[in-house]
Amino acid sequence: MKSRLKYAVLLGLPGWLMIAGPAAADSPAPPSPAVPVPGYSFIQAQDGISEYRLDANGLTVLVAPDHSAPVVTFQVTYRVGSRNEVTGTTGATHILEHMMFKGSEAYNEEKGNSLKRYGERVGAQFNASTSLDRTNYFATLGRDDLEGYVAVEADRMRHLLLRDADRQAEMTVVRNEYERGRNSPENVLFEEVQAAAFEALPYHHPTIGWLSDIEHVPTAKLREFYDTFYWPDNSTVTIAGDVDVAAVLALVRRYYGVYPHSPAPIPQIYTEEPVQQGPRRLTVSLPGELGAVLIAHKLPNGLAPDQPAIEVLDAVLASGKSSRLYHALVDSGLALAADADTGLHRDASLHTLFAQLAPGATHAEVEAALLAELDKVKSGGVTDAELARVKQQYVAANAYRRDGTSAIVGELNAWIAIGDWTQYVTFPRRIAAVTPADVQRVARQYFDAAQSTTGWYVPPAAPAEEHAK
Amino acid sequence: MTRVDLLAPILACVALATASLAQGAPMAEHAERGRAAGIDVVTYRTAVHDVVDIVGYLPAGDALAGTGNPAVPTLLGMMLDHGTRAQDQFTIARELEEVGAEVGFSVGVQSLQFEAKCLTRDLQLVLSILAAELRTPALQPAEFAKVKLQLTGMLENQRRSTDARAREALRRALFPPGHPNRPATLDELLAGTRSATLKDLQAFHAKFYGPEHMTIVLVGDVTQEVATAGIASNFSGWSGGQDFLRTAPEAYPPAAATVTVPLPEKTSVSVLLGETTGMVYRDPDSLALRLGTVIAGRGFTGRLMANVRDKQGLTYDIGAVVSDDSLVDGLWYVDASFSPKLLERGLAATRSTLQTWWQDGVTDRELADTKQGLIGGYYVGLATNQGLARAIVTTLQRGLDLSWLDQYPQLLRAVTRDQVNAAIRRHVDLSKLTLVEAGTVPAAATEPSP
Repeated sequence: MKSRLKYAVLLGLPGWLMIAGPAAADSPAPPSPAVPVPGYSFIQAQDGISEYRLDANGLTVLVAPDHSAPVVTFQVTYRVGSRNEVTGTTGATHILEHMMFKGSEAYNEEKGNSLKRYGERVGAQFNASTSLDRTNYFATLGRDDLEGYVAVEADRMRHLLLRDADRQAEMTVVRNEYERGRNSPENVLFEEVQAAAFEALPYHHPTIGWLSDIEHVPTAKLREFYDTFYWPDNSTVTIAGDVDVAAVLALVRRYYGVYPHSPAPIPQIYTEEPVQQGPRRLTVSLPGELGAVLIAHKLPNGLAPDQPAIEVLDAVLASGKSSRLYHALVDSGLALAADADTGLHRDASLHTLFAQLAPGATHAEVEAALLAELDKVKSGGVTDAELARVKQQYVAANAYRRDGTSAIVGELNAWIAIGDWTQYVTFPRRIAAVTPADVQRVARQYFDAAQSTTGWYVPPAAPAEEHAK
Repeated sequence: MTRVDLLAPILACVALATASLAQGAPMAEHAERGRAAGIDVVTYRTAVHDVVDIVGYLPAGDALAGTGNPAVPTLLGMMLDHGTRAQDQFTIARELEEVGAEVGFSVGVQSLQFEAKCLTRDLQLVLSILAAELRTPALQPAEFAKVKLQLTGMLENQRRSTDARAREALRRALFPPGHPNRPATLDELLAGTRSATLKDLQAFHAKFYGPEHMTIVLVGDVTQEVATAGIASNFSGWSGGQDFLRTAPEAYPPAAATVTVPLPEKTSVSVLLGETTGMVYRDPDSLALRLGTVIAGRGFTGRLMANVRDKQGLTYDIGAVVSDDSLVDGLWYVDASFSPKLLERGLAATRSTLQTWWQDGVTDRELADTKQGLIGGYYVGLATNQGLARAIVTTLQRGLDLSWLDQYPQLLRAVTRDQVNAAIRRHVDLSKLTLVEAGTVPAAATEPSP
């Protein structure tokens, strides 16, 4: 799944507000004072977000109080995603996410007190999601309903029922989710380009998994996943909203403090993607009306120093009507839509240039137009005015995106997955420090044709000579 | 560089959502409503500092095309951000982007809707651009050609969308020509897009765009005085506008039917199973039917999800809703997706679940839990500026007073189990549902169900 950095920057916590101050790009925020809480070690605080470690088991807890509405968002992020899967278990992380709603020992449908029943009875907005690097479970609900939710959420961390009968029924549910995704040729194109771009890293396979693995993965394998990765020391709890820090930490301790550390070290990924030896191309052919072009380049991981400059490059290329791709592709009538985006991930990131062809346009001319805009940045750089514009867009959009605790927690989740939640606070400062020279340098450094993977979605009716060669 | 200037006021902003909600004050008392330049203006000041969310609408949606070219309302809506008589689209885009403001338009069944966000200090700029785009769109031939190309592409893409094709087919099966809820076909829209002229757009603009039935809702750090002054100065001298279509030809009499939309090589079939309700939202039975429908098919614990998905594993998603009834009589339907090979079983499980729901009715426990959940979710949804603005707009479009925002939880609590079960039986006839299947449908599944 794509972790759109654009959104990471757009959404805001009080943390990013620090870039607003005079000389903001140069002066980090003063650390927030530590609030000592029994049973916890204080780790750090940045701009209103406090990080604690539960002494009993290593659970990380982030708290971002906001008392403007009697609402709270609670989330637990497990640092396990489809990157932890291998052949035969692709999609297992996602199926396990589904199984987490099938009941735990103390809270289940048979007892009439399942998480679903509780969540819907109190009007919570709750769900879960799985991506390449993490799995998260979350709910936004009234402040007074929080404890009931935490009790159920904590119980399923270590007491999941995980019954084979439930897995069998859920397999077809997940399979239909897979089938719905395959209904969209653009989704298929993205998955196939990603699979071609990554050969060694587990990012090769889609998070939802290959169909045969979805259908056949045994419940025992899911249990193995659960018992390997679902431990407090492999998790981060995030709470934003109308809470008192000490009180909510005590609440978390009451329900999560009963668990020990994981009995074995959490397995680490040591695979590295080998250097690509030339451009890769593929074609997706499915019934449809209009084609699409997707050009991908692998990038360093999401915490790499150059990511802010790449993000600015993406905004210059594709943010708003003033962007270069809008002028060159959409306004010119070559494409219905065009985008530049970076999916930030833990092991390696993937940059994509995408365009959906307008009626009458050919794949070749759209691909050429996308690459031409990239080449212009390589040769001519970006202007000061462009840089100022996209930075303005970021900071204003940040202000708008503070509209709700759910969005705040969702963006923290993205940075937790990549490996450093404090980027949520510091990344906007790094954006503010990007120069035109940085943007030109990253365009030249990372967007080498020999390192590209290009996919065309070609509806069968399109002329044969257009197929990717 | 203006970055610091832009950000300075945001520093003061720590609070997030609606202060009045937090304090439990009546929303209707907190909202201020008045008229400016003939426009209905509602403001709701929240604890969010320096930011304003704007949501508004006027009756100029697709249905207003009547028997004319069905593509014209959408084409005109798309042309609004392609320049005004005074400024081209890129100058406007630059002005907005330089202050980080956003303005967007969308065309629905009956409404042209617009949404904007800006810092409070930029409100006048945003209102001036919004007014110019609504009042004096440039409607230049070169831009029109681009917009026609865009719409053609979007429509062509919908051809292979199982969801879009199912939506179109169900509404056309239930509503007769002339009913606002009956959409044009894709082919009609494509033909209309090809044949539309700028004169068509100008005529539609002259007839339907105006202040008389227009509403603007502003939520955030804004007062009614500032809002009305800004709207008056930018919209004064404008006149005209038409009301929504509030009457409609009678819907087709309910009758069991199956409509298949064959689409090759699709891995999932989109299914809709529904009928008309004969009710608008304000009808006395409406809330009771909605409560019953939530129990049947909303969220993870609705009966359809619990049985068809959780118990039998036949679908990823299934639900039931009452829809399209803000202004004229709407419809009730189940929405699901099934693998082609599980389609028959899925439909059987769906019908069986509905039959039990209809026959036995809802339980007291289900009703109590559903009420509590809806009320809790209602308040959670209002805890953002955008959620609040949209709730106000929806309330007004339904022809309800703002006091309804406060009354809604009480109204929900007052609905009895008998009322819910009676409404279900009065407005849902399971023997007369129209089934739509869009996708790669196996032959055996195309027969009408008993």
